[in-house]
This record gives sequence, C-alpha cells and structure tokens, in this order.
Amino acid sequence: MNLMPDRAYPMGTVRSLLASDRVTPATAEALRRRLLGARPPDEEVFDADAYRTLEAVCARLIPQPDRYPPIDVAAELHRRLADGIGDGWRYVDLPPDRIAYVRGIVGIDQTSAALFGEPFLTLAGANRDTVLRALQAGVADGETWRTMKSDCFFEELLAQVVDIYYAHPLAQEEIGYVGMADARGWQAIGLDERDAHEPAPLGTSR
Amino acid sequence: MLSRLAAAGLSVVALEAGVQWRPDRDFATDEAEQNKLFWMDERLSGGGDPLAFGKNNSGIGVGGSTLHYTAYTPRPQPDDFRIRSEFGVGEDWPIGYEDLVPYFDELEAFLGVSGPGTYPWGPERPSYPLAPLPLNGPAQLMERACAEVGIRTSPAPNAALSGSWYQPGHGWRPACTNRGFCQAGCSTGAKASMDVTFVPLAVAHGAEVRAGCFVTGFARNVAGRITGVVYTSRDGEDIQLCDHVFLCAGAVESPRLLLIAGLANSSGEVGRNFMAHAGVQVWGSFEEEVRPYKGIPGGLISEDTHRPPDADFAGGYLLQSIGVMPLTYAGEVARGRGLWGEQLRRHMRGYNHVAGINILGDCLPAGGNDLTLSDELDGRGLPKPLIRFTAGDNEKRMSRHAEKIMRGLWDIAGASDVWSFDRYAHTIGTCRMGDDPDRAVVNADCRAFDVPNLSICDNSVFPSALAANPALTIMALSLRTADRFLQMRGKRE
Repeated sequence: MNLMPDRAYPMGTVRSLLASDRVTPATAEALRRRLLGARPPDEEVFDADAYRTLEAVCARLIPQPDRYPPIDVAAELHRRLADGIGDGWRYVDLPPDRIAYVRGIVGIDQTSAALFGEPFLTLAGANRDTVLRALQAGVADGETWRTMKSDCFFEELLAQVVDIYYAHPLAQEEIGYVGMADARGWQAIGLDERDAHEPAPLGTSR
Repeated sequence: MLSRLAAAGLSVVALEAGVQWRPDRDFATDEAEQNKLFWMDERLSGGGDPLAFGKNNSGIGVGGSTLHYTAYTPRPQPDDFRIRSEFGVGEDWPIGYEDLVPYFDELEAFLGVSGPGTYPWGPERPSYPLAPLPLNGPAQLMERACAEVGIRTSPAPNAALSGSWYQPGHGWRPACTNRGFCQAGCSTGAKASMDVTFVPLAVAHGAEVRAGCFVTGFARNVAGRITGVVYTSRDGEDIQLCDHVFLCAGAVESPRLLLIAGLANSSGEVGRNFMAHAGVQVWGSFEEEVRPYKGIPGGLISEDTHRPPDADFAGGYLLQSIGVMPLTYAGEVARGRGLWGEQLRRHMRGYNHVAGINILGDCLPAGGNDLTLSDELDGRGLPKPLIRFTAGDNEKRMSRHAEKIMRGLWDIAGASDVWSFDRYAHTIGTCRMGDDPDRAVVNADCRAFDVPNLSICDNSVFPSALAANPALTIMALSLRTADRFLQMRGKRE
C-alpha cells in the first residue's frame, strides 16, 4: 500500500518559526496554546478505568513510540466531550457524542471479553488491534454493538483522534507542513519548489 | 441583496447569527482554530450516504459561507438550468442563464475575479478582470496529465485577487499571497468574501448589520403578513419589526426555521429535495514535492466533462485540481480509507507529496432526500434538523465515470498509492423555486407563495444543483431578487 519512500522532517521548526517574525500573531497564539496541551475538563465524562481504556485505544490508533512526551490525544478528546464541542453533525444512528463514547468504551471491553476473555487494558498490543479491527469492520461482539453500530462509532472515534493529533503543531512539523509560517505568504508554489523557510526532508539537500 | 436594497434608499437590517470578524487580527492559519467559521450546532445526518456538515459546507459569521468558500467561481452553463428539458429527469429552473448573465458580469467585475482572458467553455463572455492566479503543484500535475490525453484545461476563475483591487465601500484589497487557506478564512482580504465586498458597500449605503442575532421565529398578523422577526442575542430575546423579510440562512437553516415556524409550506415542499454536489476526490502520491498547502487550492479547471459523449448519466461535472490542508486531508484518510496506527502516520509523513483532483457534479432532486425536524432539541430548545441523503443511480454513475477519468489522469501524472474519497459537497434545495405554487415554495423572483412579504434567497431555492460551484449563482440570484423586489415595489407605488 505504501509505495512511496518514508519521509522525515527536522524537529524544532515550529518553535523556531514561533521565535521568528514569519508567523502572524493570530496563528502564533493558536499554536502556543495548543503546545501547552489540553486544559483539564470542567467535569469528568469517564470513570478512571474507562479513561485509561480510552488512553489505550488512542495509543493504538495513533502510536507514538518515537515521541516523548506523547501528544495527549485522550486529554483533548475528553475536554471536547466535556465541553460539548462536536464537529457540527453526527450520524443519526449514533446517540449524542458523550453517550456514544461512554457506551463505546464499555463496548470495547465487551468485545475484548468476547474475543480474549479479558478487558482491553490487560490485552497485549496485537490483540488490542484485533479488537479495534473488529469494531472497524462492524463485526464486533458485545451487547453495546447491538444498539450502536460499531463501525460508525469507530469511524467517529478515529476521525476525532486523528483531528486532535494532526492539529498539534509538533505533528504538523512531523509531516513537513509549514503553512503556519503565514506572515508573508508563499512565492515558490509550483512542483518541487520551496521557499527558503520550508524545511527540506531529512536526507535531502536543498 | 443588502447593498442593493440600501442603495435604493430602503431601511435594511441584516440579522447574522455569528460575529463580525476582523480577519487580519482574528484569523489564524490553523485549521482547528478556524473551526469558529463553521456552523457547529449539531445536525443529524441519515440516509444511505449521510452527509458531513460543519467544516464540509456550513458557515457562520458576517460573510457567511463566503468566509470559507474556496473562491472557486465558475459560471453554470445555460443547459444546467434546463436539465429536465434536456434529459427528462431533475427539474428545470423557472429562470435561465440569460436572466442571470448580467449579474455574473457585474459580480465578476465587482469582486475582482481572477481568471483567463478567454474561457474555453460555455457562451461567449467578457474576459475576467484580473489575470489568473499562479498554478500550484496539484494544478501543474493535472495540467500535465490532461494535456497528454487531450482534455482541455484552463486556469480556474477564482474570486481571489491576482493584483491589488479597489473595493468600493471598503478600500484597497491586496493581491493573494498564496497562503492556500481560502477554505478556513482569508486573513488578508484577497479573497472576495462578503465581509470585504458587499457588506461594507451595504453599510456605506446605510444598511445596518447586526451580528450575534440568532433568528428563532416570526410575528405575524391576522392577514398572514410577517410583522417582525424574533431573535435572541446576548441581550436576550428581541423583535425587529419589518415590512418585508428576506430569509437567507442557507439550505439547512432556512427550511428549518420555516418548519419550526410552520410557515410558507402549503405545498409541503419545505425541506424536500435536499441535494449535494457529487464531489468525489482522487488523491495520489508523487515523487515531486507538491506541498499542497500553498497557492489557491483549486487552480485549474476543465469543463470538457460538462456533457461527456460516453456518459451513462444525466447532466455532467467539472474537473478541478485541489490542494489540501493537513487536518482536512488526515480526516479524509481516516474516514475514507480507514487507515490508523503506524500505517496512518507513515501515510501522513508523505503529505507534502500528495495532490488531488475532484469533481463538482450535478445532483438530481429525489424524494427521500430531505430535511425534517428531529425530536432532539439543541441548546436553544429548538429541534435539531435531520438531513437524509442517499446518492441516486445518476450520482453514482457520474461519480464512477469521473473517478475512472481522474485515476487515469493521476496514473499519467506519475502518481502512486492512488485512492478515492467519495464525497458530496454543498447544501442545496429544500425551498424550491418554481412557477407552480403546489410544487414550489417561492416563485421565480424568490417570493414565497404563501406569505405576501417573505422572500427566500439562498441555495435552498435552487430547483436543481447545477454543475458549478454554487457561490457565484447564489450571489447573482441575490442581486436579481433585490432588483425584482425593487421593480415590483416601484410598480406598486
């Protein structure tokens, strides 16, 4: 599936951009706020075990073995749910977000139990992926999934997790995105053209 | 509309649910931050092909959806308005291209649309007032591939400036800096959103724009006339007395408000025939660096597919090269391709080498594709809208036809890892315009059949979807509706 070479970009470009005059104040403020991480939610949506399960699920959807500390996807997801911040729509087949997530985490444990006889948190990584793949394929076992489609829930969950991870300035740096350097716009916009402050991938010469 | 009515000396107030932004100060080049431009009150999406709302198609704030449109402004073609006459399906418009053409001319000249000197498709037309914007990576790739297979292309008409431009009522607008961020707010004023074009002109003519006012209903007299518009703002509930109301809240909120108020629906057509443009995208990865965050996103166009000779469907579509911002792309990879884990992260590390093409294809009105009020209430205590959409055979055949062409183009352009994202864009229909009061909500002048002093003017009145992005037609219809209103009013007096 991945026929293209794997790419990597230098670290530290976002913070050095923020120290320059290449980022407009509005953009810089948004990036700085996100670099600080999610503020704690005003109220808890999950109990402690459910939250740990959510963290473990996020870590399978976006594994970050290369990043310390990892981008805290679960914390931001928790904050959005607590604050009632959605994306403007939802599948009519799913209940409101908060209810869907609370039920969904219960459902993930039910599927874990059905497949492996233990909760998601005690499973090894590969088995955790098996559980999540069952959800994604819409064939997950468990009481919850009789009234809530597991593939719909999985798609929503994945979309949220991905939205949170790639909104983070360091994840954008990871993929070589540098659109936040917006103060002057771009001159070199054609194929294989690069303005001076666009980082080259590692292992290439400018 | 606002500027036209104000210029004629009428006292006009615009009630806008969102806020008045200061784009240079408030707009970040950051997708998550710019979610503030989108209508995020929850909508319920059902049917066989549930539509995404929010970022996909729905705006809020002074300037509305033009705050986040990509500035892509091709004109519809004359035959788009007569799809039923031509194919025996869909619905003809009660007005035609010729009724709107003076307004297309006026709008392009007023907004400062950048485009080619000679446009290869459609009826003869004046040159665009500004030279085309420069082509970005995706546009160059599409141009290269189309040239090889003999598909004609042109730099696309875009309502973003290739040179500085004096905007009456507003002042100088600078040339586009290729920031590539049209879809999440232009911070420089180079894009012709309403807040830097018609709204300041309207204010110069004496109109009042009242931001932060969410309309919840109408007061009526025994004769059925609307006497006032009820809205909530920071200061609580208020009413604006009025002689005439123009409802311009889009193809979701306009019908929703009418259904809540029980208004203008003797035909039963309010909420029916919801449409969304076929918008299948094809993405590929290239050896070259594309860096799809730079330049006007839709740089190149082809309308050779407007009426393809080998079509097995009614209507047609246009082809468009597309750049993309990372969060939008990542979301599509997640939803459309289902990638996660290391596979997803690796794919995203190739983001700078990704380019896309998509289509904008007509959509036929269909029973069952509709907007109704759900049982669930929003934060204001109003029922959330439920929109059901299932793509018909025609849309599916068109999307398949287009996908085949686009995959072929991307193969020729040298793409690997080519994949398609089947999507539907824009919100259209639900308050159909027509000549027959039993089958339409408004007449050809956008006046409601049932309420003497109500006009509806936005994408909700479109009887068919048209094979062109809707913004330019919405604007043209708005100017025409204002002119027709003023003419009728002149006759009455």
